Amino acid sequence: MSVKIIIAVLFLVLFLVAIGTYAARRWRRLASGEPRILLTGGGTGGHVNPALAIAEGIKSREPDARFLYVGVKGKAEAVIVRRAGYKLLFVSSEGFPGVRISFAFARFLLRLSVGIVQSIGILLTFSPRWVVATGGYVSAPIICAGLLLRLLRIAPVKLFLHEQNSVPGQLNAFLGRWVDRVMLTFPQTQSHFPRNGVVVGYPVRHSIQLKPRDEALGSISFPIPEGRKVVFAFGGSQGARTINRAVVDALPTLLPHRDKIFIIHGMGLSGYADYNAAEDTERRLRAVLTSDELAVVGELYHRQDYFHNIEDIYSVSDLIVCRSGAGSLNEICRMGKPSLLIPKANLPGDHQVMNARAMKIAGAAEMLFEDVTVEDGQVLEKVDGSVLAERILLLLGDQERLKSIAENSRRFLRKKSNERILSELYGDKNYNNGVGSATTPLPPLMGNQRLLSALTAAYNKSPRSYNPLTTVCDENDLNYYRHRAAGLLSHDGWQDRNIGVKLVGFTQYREKIPALLHMLSDQTPDAWIRRFFGGDFKQVGFIRRNIVYSLRVLDQFNSDVERHLLMALDDPYFEVRTEACRTVAHFGKYCAGKDAWMQGLLRRLEDGSFETAVEAARALGEVGVDGKAFSALLNLRENFYWQVRDAGLYGIKRLLERHVIAPSPDLLSQVSTFVLTSTDFRPHFSIKETYQTIERYCRERLTAETHCAPLRSADQDALPSK
Amino acid sequence: MFYALGSYLFQLSETFSFFRLVNYISFRCVMAALTSVILMFLFSRPFVYYMHRRCFLDQVRETGVRSAFDKSGTPTMGGVLVIGAVLASMAMWGNWRNPFLLYSLAGMLWFGMIGFIDDYSKVKRKSGDNGMSERSKLVLQGVFSVAFAWGCVGPYSPVGQELATQLFVPFYKHPVVNLGPYLYGVLIFSAVIVITNAVNITDGLDGLAITPSVFVVVVLGVFAYVEGNRIYSAYLYYPYLRGAGELTIFGAAFVGAGVGFLWYNAYPAQIFMGDTGSLAIGGTMAVVSVLLKQEMLFPLLGGLFLMEAATSQIQDKIGVRWLGRRIFYRAPFHHNLQHKGIAETKVVIRLWIIAGILALLSLATLKIR
Repeated sequence: MSVKIIIAVLFLVLFLVAIGTYAARRWRRLASGEPRILLTGGGTGGHVNPALAIAEGIKSREPDARFLYVGVKGKAEAVIVRRAGYKLLFVSSEGFPGVRISFAFARFLLRLSVGIVQSIGILLTFSPRWVVATGGYVSAPIICAGLLLRLLRIAPVKLFLHEQNSVPGQLNAFLGRWVDRVMLTFPQTQSHFPRNGVVVGYPVRHSIQLKPRDEALGSISFPIPEGRKVVFAFGGSQGARTINRAVVDALPTLLPHRDKIFIIHGMGLSGYADYNAAEDTERRLRAVLTSDELAVVGELYHRQDYFHNIEDIYSVSDLIVCRSGAGSLNEICRMGKPSLLIPKANLPGDHQVMNARAMKIAGAAEMLFEDVTVEDGQVLEKVDGSVLAERILLLLGDQERLKSIAENSRRFLRKKSNERILSELYGDKNYNNGVGSATTPLPPLMGNQRLLSALTAAYNKSPRSYNPLTTVCDENDLNYYRHRAAGLLSHDGWQDRNIGVKLVGFTQYREKIPALLHMLSDQTPDAWIRRFFGGDFKQVGFIRRNIVYSLRVLDQFNSDVERHLLMALDDPYFEVRTEACRTVAHFGKYCAGKDAWMQGLLRRLEDGSFETAVEAARALGEVGVDGKAFSALLNLRENFYWQVRDAGLYGIKRLLERHVIAPSPDLLSQVSTFVLTSTDFRPHFSIKETYQTIERYCRERLTAETHCAPLRSADQDALPSK
Repeated sequence: MFYALGSYLFQLSETFSFFRLVNYISFRCVMAALTSVILMFLFSRPFVYYMHRRCFLDQVRETGVRSAFDKSGTPTMGGVLVIGAVLASMAMWGNWRNPFLLYSLAGMLWFGMIGFIDDYSKVKRKSGDNGMSERSKLVLQGVFSVAFAWGCVGPYSPVGQELATQLFVPFYKHPVVNLGPYLYGVLIFSAVIVITNAVNITDGLDGLAITPSVFVVVVLGVFAYVEGNRIYSAYLYYPYLRGAGELTIFGAAFVGAGVGFLWYNAYPAQIFMGDTGSLAIGGTMAVVSVLLKQEMLFPLLGGLFLMEAATSQIQDKIGVRWLGRRIFYRAPFHHNLQHKGIAETKVVIRLWIIAGILALLSLATLKIR
């Protein structure tokens, strides 16, 4: 039995070795023939177009080169690559879900291994000289297969990777260590690939070049009336819901100007169940516009899912409204067009915001942040249509400004990236670096956690005079942080929403109070399994608690806030009730004397949680206006918890200070019935205190500068050390 | 050392018959306890000063409890002292060839080492939250637990083949069920992991971990004496474990070191045991109770530790991480009591009382069966 197995294994090994030898010899034979190049990368147009641009570059040097494109079925490459006329094959692959034992991870491993086997087959038959991968999870199986074949000495193939984003994708970051060259768009990415990374910029397709307006008009399939200002709005190859909806929402405002402007709308190819760009836009149009308006909207509005000759559209446009992904930005800068950028928030490394911010600071673009609103009980990212329309009209009306933006954008980016990439591929010694103005370093943005701890520290230091600007130091950045915080409110994971709630509070984004209040009163029950273990609503206890806390930080009191606070006073989760009592105490002067508050706080004195009772008693001292509050507080004198008794005394003290009750011997004899023994005390370590005084003296000298100083005077000498 | 020397001498000649004393467990117990407590007294103060000089001071962790008094800056890694005292004492008074003793010492040293690495990295990185990751700690603990479980159910089991996989429960004379090597191995594995981490979690207030541990070890020492004695074990219907009496001496050395440590660790503490101490103590208790076939007694005997661990895990894993709410005011249990307004000293003494009651109840299971 075992002999048979050994023989079978031996035969298998021999067979594989034979195949390998044959493939290796074939590969080397083919290598001397016409150049063969395998391209891969995709998922979105942002990955596909660079690959095509690189292919164009190779073709210009070696016109007889043969190309093969490998992608994943049903993604952007299926449309774009076919059209560009390259042969296209598909392999199986999937996005990296993170190393965690989960169903998604198992499926990822399975798909990836299938993809690698397919890729080995493709590589062996095509035997390319180079593999040029432009990222996206599509390229992972091909790179893995290429590395494997190279390790087995079958394939003398060179592997190149191009990374478009400033923060590399996880698969790229992992596989990039072993490929020959990682070509980067942004200099700050270099740190991820210290050994083989090289900054080249973003390759733009040859065809993306400014045409004379008339020529471009001629090759566009739909008519654009004479004398109109043209606005081109799109959200990348897959489309962006925010932009699509905003454009449609802007139409009613833009309609009266239909003799002056024309909107071209690229909706994107996205056709999934959760978001189908074309269908959703259609539905939106019918909802937003009346039937009369629908009849005339064609005069200023054209929509299409994808533009294959996007350079024609660019050429006729006067203003471009889009996301700030690396692809779109590079194309816009190549064309030298003014743009209104709507960055997508909360991406890894915030790269879209970083891009847009850099453009805005260089005067090369305008920027508009997406917002978060409640729509049909759902919290969604959105750009208000009328705001977008106003910005468009304002920009179109200011020719001077448009011209300067266009001029700055033309100068913004690294030039000649195509040549730079070719010189990397062919190993040229001399090349033109073509550095653009974008390489000037900017202060980095803070991540959510860091921002939160910085703001929390600032708030705790002096709640009364708190202002987020003293921590953030830059109005634009603060604005972005606000929008990013609001964006978190619509996330699926409660941890993200929770951070969002805190940040909305600490950045004092007062416009979002209604959204917070909506979340506070949202009583959608949680999954049954979580309710079984003590959960309650979808907006979990911490979120509700932090909303109430944020209301205090936001420091704005109106009838809506009051109504929701009263509801929070009877929340099923004790920390919410506690926090509500604290917030009432904070807004004491608005609540004082109102019966609803009095009743609520008296109820809370009896609360099952002693924490709540403590805070209710303290709040009663701020809100109470008559003897009722006093007698309620007096009733706490024999409470089990000394903290409650302490809070009762504190409340009475506040009543005295607010002149609600008058000090008298009678009062003292009543208060003296309080049980004053307690189970806690505060120890006092003299030696440590003396030491801390000395320590404080020394530290004060070191941190005499204000918080914002290092940002402004980055190149000045650091503070003198001791 | 003294054991080996003594037994050699009194066999050598009548003149040294006096050294027969070392054959008596009771004598060696007393001597071991005295040795370790004296060692603690001798070395604690220089150790504290040494740690201050090297700046090996405790780094405070965010617990959410009001800290009007700052405890950061107290030297940590006092566990090194405890381990050292027990080792030295056992080196003098122990029988080094006894498998029970070797297993227990291995457990103490291994877990002490894990804790030491953790403490050391915390001090070096200047943060109480940046010690060893929870995962790598668990892996290291798991390595020992697997080896130990194999040692207990495998061919080298110190309790003998026929007893190795029998499960005993408190309040019942006979083994309830023969679990078989695999199931019993899993039981040992989880017992070791749970007990060590429970002690680690309990170690949060001055003197809170050491005194209940001493209670537990005293009770386990009594069990070891009974089970290691042919007459008593027959009388009380316990399985006779040949050589288990050595664990009584080990326990005595441990109690001595624990009391000596409490001298300095009592509120306000001059030294903390750190993870070095808490993991080593947890590992010791786990190994000893498994060796004595009393692992099912531990939920009663060390109920305090288990409750601390349970509250902490429920709060953290179920409440804060998953449900997004607090289930207790604070966790673990001693912080909850503090939060409810009981001073640290009072919390500690009350929990000692509870631990003492549990120890007495466990001792009662000797006879009530």
